[in-house]
Amino acid sequence: MFLTHLSLKNYRNYKQEDIEFTNNINVILGENAQGKTNMMEAIYVLAMAKSHRTTNDKELIRWDEEYAKIEGRAIKRNGPLSLELIISKKGKKAKSNHIEQQKLSQYIGQINVVMFAPEDLHLVKGSPQVRRRFIDMEIGQVSPVYMHDLSQYQKILQQRNHYLKLLQTKQQHDETVLDILTQQLIELAAKITLKRHEFLQLLQKWAEPIHYEISRGLEKLQIKYHPSVNVSEKMELSRIIEAYSEKFVTIKEKEIDRGMTLAGPHRDDISFDVNEKDVQTFGSQGQQRTTALSIKLAEIELIFSEIGDYPILLLDDVLSELDDFRQTHLLDAIRQKVQTFVTTTSIDGIEHDVIKEATIYKVSSGHISNR
Amino acid sequence: MHYPEPISKLIDSFMKLPGIGPKTAVRLAFFVLNMKEDTVLDFAKALVNAKRNLTYCTICGHITDKDPCYICEDERRDKTTICVVQDPKDVIAMEKMKEYNGLYHVLHGAISPMDGIGPEDIKIPELLKRLQDETVQEVILATNPNIEGEATAMYISRLLKPTGIKITRIAHGLPVGGDLEYADEVTLSKALEGRREL
Repeated sequence: MFLTHLSLKNYRNYKQEDIEFTNNINVILGENAQGKTNMMEAIYVLAMAKSHRTTNDKELIRWDEEYAKIEGRAIKRNGPLSLELIISKKGKKAKSNHIEQQKLSQYIGQINVVMFAPEDLHLVKGSPQVRRRFIDMEIGQVSPVYMHDLSQYQKILQQRNHYLKLLQTKQQHDETVLDILTQQLIELAAKITLKRHEFLQLLQKWAEPIHYEISRGLEKLQIKYHPSVNVSEKMELSRIIEAYSEKFVTIKEKEIDRGMTLAGPHRDDISFDVNEKDVQTFGSQGQQRTTALSIKLAEIELIFSEIGDYPILLLDDVLSELDDFRQTHLLDAIRQKVQTFVTTTSIDGIEHDVIKEATIYKVSSGHISNR
Repeated sequence: MHYPEPISKLIDSFMKLPGIGPKTAVRLAFFVLNMKEDTVLDFAKALVNAKRNLTYCTICGHITDKDPCYICEDERRDKTTICVVQDPKDVIAMEKMKEYNGLYHVLHGAISPMDGIGPEDIKIPELLKRLQDETVQEVILATNPNIEGEATAMYISRLLKPTGIKITRIAHGLPVGGDLEYADEVTLSKALEGRREL
């Protein structure tokens, strides 16, 4: 799939911009603080209805304006698609092919994007929350049911935590209500755990050979999932439910004591091992960067295998961070099949043919021009 | 904008109703000014009467003008089945169907710890009391298919398990007469989960 047109209104530092894109490589060139990343973010928001940089949507609206509007036209394998997202202080409104979508979960995932930004190094180095967010975003792109389960899970989790607080402070004594909430929680927790487990196995399958190649045959990457209950390679839903049920029985006293839910997908983590050593602790900067790159490239292939169409790749300021070999590998991998947006302050150092074929856009204080 | 006091009061009153914002309230208020005095009086009376004369049935909790309500009074209805719903509006919806001939029990809410609603804050104790005499053989749980409604249904079913009364839950899934292709993914997956053998 590829984006042919983007229109921004009151989005961050853009007042009103309309841009046409080519279906190959689009290089966004500009000095610092001119709006390159903002434009990449806008494409991401158009696809995912939320930003990768912030959870506060108000930040996306231009200073002193009431709302921001992003419109995009894309060509998918099965035809054209037009998307529109309005972000106001009250909330978001999404239209696809001019029809308003009641639920954002219906809107998300109509175009797929894979973003690779300097922050993605946090995927390896950062807190578990960053990694959970990553898996949720990725599974969400291909599974609306997962998004629904996740939001239901959050709701029950809130209810349950609230009730545990009441039990902790002795304002409530009825443990039947807790049991019910636990039962509801487990049902969704198991579904989410299973989905994450399956997703990470798939990701592993794609990422391992890619990583092997980028590291010139020196490194073996392994993605490991760490849920609050043990899962083995072949897990069934009923077994996971059982495992959670046992877990919650053993931690019940502790949960009441602490007044919060101590097991479940909201406490999951994943780790990346290179040659059987955890990259987060033992990996070099270079290994961490390669790991992040392999995972992003694996994502592209994974999305293609799930939906039969390549996602749009957004490379925000990362090309300059990779050495020549990795740059070449990355550009070779996307060549001719993935529409890519690249931001950079200068293209002088990049010798690859792909960059020579690319269309160049210049961004300067909130204006975009085709050079 | 300055309205004379009587009309600004009327506008304020309309705005207290659900789904009515300032613009609609102004439109309604000016419409009332053009109505015949008799009609306006009837309207006002209807409002007051509804508030004064309607109470909740002491047996099932449904809105009624006489106690017990017409459903609980009706001798032809099947006294062995009770359908548990969240809201009086749900009773009306069930009654429109004209298929159900049992009794009701209105909970007036659902369990939601976040909103400070526990089992004792809705009419669950009253339900248990009703079930003490042995005429009731089946309890149908027709609370809403969302988290709170589901939790409430599960809670009641757990309380009633030891009594040996048959407990059922209404099904959820695809709407009748609908096209499969228009159903959203979540509803479809629920329908698939609840599939039955033919």
